Amino acid sequence: MDARRLKDSLDSVARHGDEVPLFFYSDLFIKHPEVRDLFPISMKAQREHLIGALAQIVAQFDRVDELAVFLKGLGRDHRKFGTAAEHYDAVGDSLLATLAHFAGDTWTPELANAWSDAYSMVADAMRQAAKEDEATSPASWRGIVVSCERKAYDISVLQVRPDPRLDFVPGQSVAIESPQRPRLWRYYSIANAPRDDGTLDFHVRLIDGGAVSMALTYGQVVGGSLRLGPPVGVLTLDARSPRDILMVAGSTGLAPMKAIIEHLARLQVSPHVHLFFCARTADGLYDLPSLEKMSAEHHWLTVVPATSADRRFRGESGSAPDVVMRAGNWSGHDAYLAGPTEMVRETSARLTAAGTPGDQIHVEDFGWSER
Amino acid sequence: MTASWQEDRKRLTPDDVQAVTFRLSRLGRRGLDEEHVRSFLRDVERELVALLNEKVSLWNEVERLRRRIIKGMKHGDEVLFGREDAHVHAVRILSNAQLTADRYVADAQAYSHRLTEEARTRRDEILNEAQQHAELVLAEATSQASQAAIASLNAPAAPQMEASRSALKAEIAYLRTFGEVYRTHLRAYTEGMLRSIEEWERNEAGAIEQASAGASDLLDLRRP
Repeated sequence: MDARRLKDSLDSVARHGDEVPLFFYSDLFIKHPEVRDLFPISMKAQREHLIGALAQIVAQFDRVDELAVFLKGLGRDHRKFGTAAEHYDAVGDSLLATLAHFAGDTWTPELANAWSDAYSMVADAMRQAAKEDEATSPASWRGIVVSCERKAYDISVLQVRPDPRLDFVPGQSVAIESPQRPRLWRYYSIANAPRDDGTLDFHVRLIDGGAVSMALTYGQVVGGSLRLGPPVGVLTLDARSPRDILMVAGSTGLAPMKAIIEHLARLQVSPHVHLFFCARTADGLYDLPSLEKMSAEHHWLTVVPATSADRRFRGESGSAPDVVMRAGNWSGHDAYLAGPTEMVRETSARLTAAGTPGDQIHVEDFGWSER
Repeated sequence: MTASWQEDRKRLTPDDVQAVTFRLSRLGRRGLDEEHVRSFLRDVERELVALLNEKVSLWNEVERLRRRIIKGMKHGDEVLFGREDAHVHAVRILSNAQLTADRYVADAQAYSHRLTEEARTRRDEILNEAQQHAELVLAEATSQASQAAIASLNAPAAPQMEASRSALKAEIAYLRTFGEVYRTHLRAYTEGMLRSIEEWERNEAGAIEQASAGASDLLDLRRP
């Protein structure tokens, strides 16, 4: 596979910017109108990701092992969108038509063959992964809303019962689609360890102008149904580690931490867990009562609430990384971080600078998907 | 064909046939000038041949174009009007429609963003105001109570002044009642404030729901 050549040709085509994905999707929808239904009304986000995803795949052509893992995840993940085997050929056709259109005179039969071979390889890997996944799990789950509880002005806890049962590892997430916002999927961490009745808790923060969070906060009725994707994510417990645990949760970043703590509570012996629960104001510490109850029940759990902009709050105050760093030395701990991107990045950088090895710092990474 | 009419000035026109007047024959013979009539007939014959040839070549051209279009419909290329061009044109039309739909969604989202952001700010303001007011009322009550306590301590403890003692007792009783009334007021005020916040949150939620429902109606452009 001539990765260099594909990369060069993609780079030169990519110079046309948004025109390229715009042409690609329009070409696809004209030739295969039925495919349009698999996509949301606004295609802006899709277009923004197309070239990046292609570039990422092309860049990995010389690291076949990594690429195989990536494509396997991608193929499995695409099942929930309703992607069928024949769609891959349609996409391949339109991809080649698009590249040919923008490459102009530089498009040669040899280049066309190189792209065609590369695409076949990618599509085969994805189709294969999807097929293998079909044997063990559905493309998506129906989730019945069991309860929806408003915990703060802008935070709700949604309890959902998936049908059929959805098995996951504490700390993982699933993508959720609301019937009010068809084809828009957003990832939410599962906020509990697996239960006998199979229900899942999700902590939903209302984002200003956020299409899905608004539908989930205001649009839910008990008994209503959602669609859930397969469990994904790497923010899971490193069970082989003998070290104590530092957890830093910003706002609803608490969800995966709670799932892991519930899991630890079922073990005979748990490492010590130091959880920092951080929000802007005391109002945002929406789940503090239940955390305090847990810490009263489990001697190995210490909960430190902190706010960054609340003069009336009587606990720790300051930004999450500031509060964490002045509380002690964490270089001997496993650190689990979740919350706003900026908070996670800053805390991770400060921990690293203070001597916590990189492989002891756990943050979420969905790899191929946006959050 | 118009071009060839203009180029060939010598061509015979219907007007020419209409307008022709033959010369009379020379003196002593009757009728028209035979030579003139023959020459005119030669012109008519030449014109007829030219017209027939043109007709055949036009017919051939029509047939050729017709075949090309039919072939193009079957194979998708080498079409007179360019099937490729038509496809690119269609792609462009669909792309523009998609961009319009994207703008509608983006506008609706921006609107909902503004709404919730303003609601959040207003809520924070009201809460802050309520809290400040509560603190003020509390501080005032505390200071009144401590003044009363100090006054009762400093009051001359003259046992003979039974009247002033009972007056002091009345004063304390008054202050106690006053404190209770103040606390009740404070509670009522805070609860009222909370109720109005809740009410307002409910309204806001309704408005947002309506706005987004309205937006999705607007956006029912799923197939641009």
